[in-house]
Amino acid sequence: AAVLPLLLGCCGAALAAGLQDQAEQFFRSGHTNNWAVLVCTSRFWFNYRHVANTLSVYRSVKRLGIPDSHIVLMLADDMACNPRNPKPATVFSHKNMELNVYGDDVEVDYRSYEVTVENFLRVLTGRIPPSTPRSKRLLSDDRSNILIYMTGHGGNGFLKFQDSEEITNVELADAFEQMWQKRRYNELLFIIDTCQGASMYERFYSPNIMALASSQVGEDSLSHQPDLGIGVHLMDRYTFYVLEFLEEIHPASQTNMNDLFQVCPKSLCVSTPGHRTDLFQRDPQNVLITDFFGSVRKVEITTETVSLDRDVAGFESKFPEEELATEPLKYAEQLPVAQIIHQKPKQKDWHPPGGFILGLWALIIMVFFKTYGIKHMKHVF
Amino acid sequence: MAAPLVLVVLAAVTVRAALYRSNLAVFITERVEVASPLNSWKRVVEGLALLDLGVSPYSGTIFHETPLIIYLFHFLIEYAELVFMITDVLTAVALYLAIQDFNRVVFKKQKLLIELDKYAPDVAELIQTPMEMHYIPLKVALFYLLNPYTVMSCVAKSTCAINNSVIAFFILATIKGSAFLSAVFLALATYQSLYPLTLFAPALLYLLQRQFIPIKLKSKSFWLYTMQYASLYLCSLVVIICLSFFLLNSWDFIPSVYGFILSVPDLTPNIGLFWYFFAEMFEHFSLFFICVFQINVFFYTIPLAIKLKEHPVFFMFVQLAIISIFKSYPTVGDVALYMAFLPIWSHLYRFLRNIFILSCVLIFCSFLFPVLWHLWIYAGSANSNFYYAITLTFNIGQILLVSDYFYAFLRREYYLTHGLHLTRQDGTEAMLVLK
Repeated sequence: AAVLPLLLGCCGAALAAGLQDQAEQFFRSGHTNNWAVLVCTSRFWFNYRHVANTLSVYRSVKRLGIPDSHIVLMLADDMACNPRNPKPATVFSHKNMELNVYGDDVEVDYRSYEVTVENFLRVLTGRIPPSTPRSKRLLSDDRSNILIYMTGHGGNGFLKFQDSEEITNVELADAFEQMWQKRRYNELLFIIDTCQGASMYERFYSPNIMALASSQVGEDSLSHQPDLGIGVHLMDRYTFYVLEFLEEIHPASQTNMNDLFQVCPKSLCVSTPGHRTDLFQRDPQNVLITDFFGSVRKVEITTETVSLDRDVAGFESKFPEEELATEPLKYAEQLPVAQIIHQKPKQKDWHPPGGFILGLWALIIMVFFKTYGIKHMKHVF
Repeated sequence: MAAPLVLVVLAAVTVRAALYRSNLAVFITERVEVASPLNSWKRVVEGLALLDLGVSPYSGTIFHETPLIIYLFHFLIEYAELVFMITDVLTAVALYLAIQDFNRVVFKKQKLLIELDKYAPDVAELIQTPMEMHYIPLKVALFYLLNPYTVMSCVAKSTCAINNSVIAFFILATIKGSAFLSAVFLALATYQSLYPLTLFAPALLYLLQRQFIPIKLKSKSFWLYTMQYASLYLCSLVVIICLSFFLLNSWDFIPSVYGFILSVPDLTPNIGLFWYFFAEMFEHFSLFFICVFQINVFFYTIPLAIKLKEHPVFFMFVQLAIISIFKSYPTVGDVALYMAFLPIWSHLYRFLRNIFILSCVLIFCSFLFPVLWHLWIYAGSANSNFYYAITLTFNIGQILLVSDYFYAFLRREYYLTHGLHLTRQDGTEAMLVLK
């Protein structure tokens, strides 16, 4: 008799835990909108890979739901229409032209010589002249999760812009503090793919910032594979493997930041990627990739009809009382997952059909035994 | 005799391996004399790449190999060089074994005819002795393996080597007397390039001889055996073609392979006779001339069968030579196959009339091919007439070589039965002429 209340208690606890879990999941991240600031800081044809890096991150965040109006894309040089590009209007990330990250609908907000340290800091802090168009502004608020991705040539404590100026880690940290003071972000994810990238996040002191870098201080970030048809290296290793990782993510993915920290170990990347999470309040385990890379809304879909007009109270609902005890539908699950992931075309290998092989070898064995007689079978067995 | 053969094989493999690693390999692969649209290695690779992309390789006009070749190279494409070296070695070994057996047959027949007093009394010097026949198989293998034509064909990875190998196995099966295997290999050879169809007649004659069935048109057993062999051959051919259907689930390969061989749409220069004629011919006549040219290959079979019905292996040699001269896309690999047979008839040397001039013609033409190609295509100071002149000369050389051997063979047969010193009616010395 004592077992029954114990059982009931366990069930109740489980139910409560389930509800609490659901509630926790609903309130996991406090953001309501997503922004992305993607910066490529180097120009010239041989820095093709930096543009390809930025464009592949751009492609991933767009694929996962962040619209162009919420992306500030800064490319310091035009590779797609560069006169040295043997395949014009394309920027490839994989050799043998497997994946064109330039696509048909790229919107570059800051291009060519507009990509300067001053413009970048003005975008981040919001201190922009009033004549700047909306597409060039970062209109984030205190419930925005912002992804900032930077790539180019860097050193210990600085990142080179356009081969003529630098941004230091102190300036960057101060810019982020200005953003925090002006309540311009809820949480910030900072990814940098340059040589000695970890030095850029050493000086951050504002809360709610998580940072990833492709190499530690004193290490170089290496490029991935050259394409012999185009003549340059197409991607950097860290971003290449991040892109491969992100190709598997779809808006309903539950993959968390710990998986992103594991991307590109030393065996693949040669440099040691680093990350910094001490300023971040949540546990990286609970932070979903789509919190920063996607634009997933907290939406719950119900199947009950809601009557808005008091006079039509006698209107019978379409669904009778027998409510199907279904799980609450989530917004992300409604999305066509199969079309969103695995967009890189996979090479299919042709194999001869089994029937053919069987028929051929049956014929060969028949000819063999017809010529040499069945008595030879005893040698085989 | 295994040790010298192994040595020869090793030497041949070394030569080929050395050439594969050198710069000459690329140069040789591109030569039109070695690689024709039917058997070029580049086209095989292209066809397999198309297949990997999900497109049928027969959809364009690039690929003209049979589905069994697709199947073979799908798995062995990384080991292509090894495959071709092994193919050459297998061909040589098959020819070696075949000629060994054939020598025994010849010797037995000779002995029988001597005992039956069928030979004239003064022909002792014409009779073949085992001593001189002992090294013939080794010489055949040597001639095949170390022939520069074969080496070039192997280095260029032309699938002509596979065709030669199948024909060599067919000859081995025929000489060993197994009608079933011979029909199967002949079907395979015909399946790959249409022309070995003409080898049906010599094989049939040889097998009939082996079974001691007299070749008389009224004889019932003759027709029975012919029907058996023909049905074996046709059934294997049908089975192989139907099996090829199942590789790609389409009949596309029939117009691409056989339609291509018969209608000769590709007029890339080669060492054959077709390209120049059809390049300058009006559309109106092209069908007629295609028929004439193709009939030329098949036309000699019946007359030769009537004349050479006692000597089917020589008939096979002449037929192979005719195929490699008159086929639509010949390459030096085909030439190499029938040249391998020449040591068998080295005893005819004393009767060959033009052998010096013919060998000079063949060697000179082989050297002039690349020279005039360069002059035509690269230097621009010659034109296609020059290259075709060399092609014509080369083919005339081959035809004269074959007819010289034919003459010498028949002359020796005549001397064997009529004696060496022939006299005319008025007593002066007579001379045999081939009319």
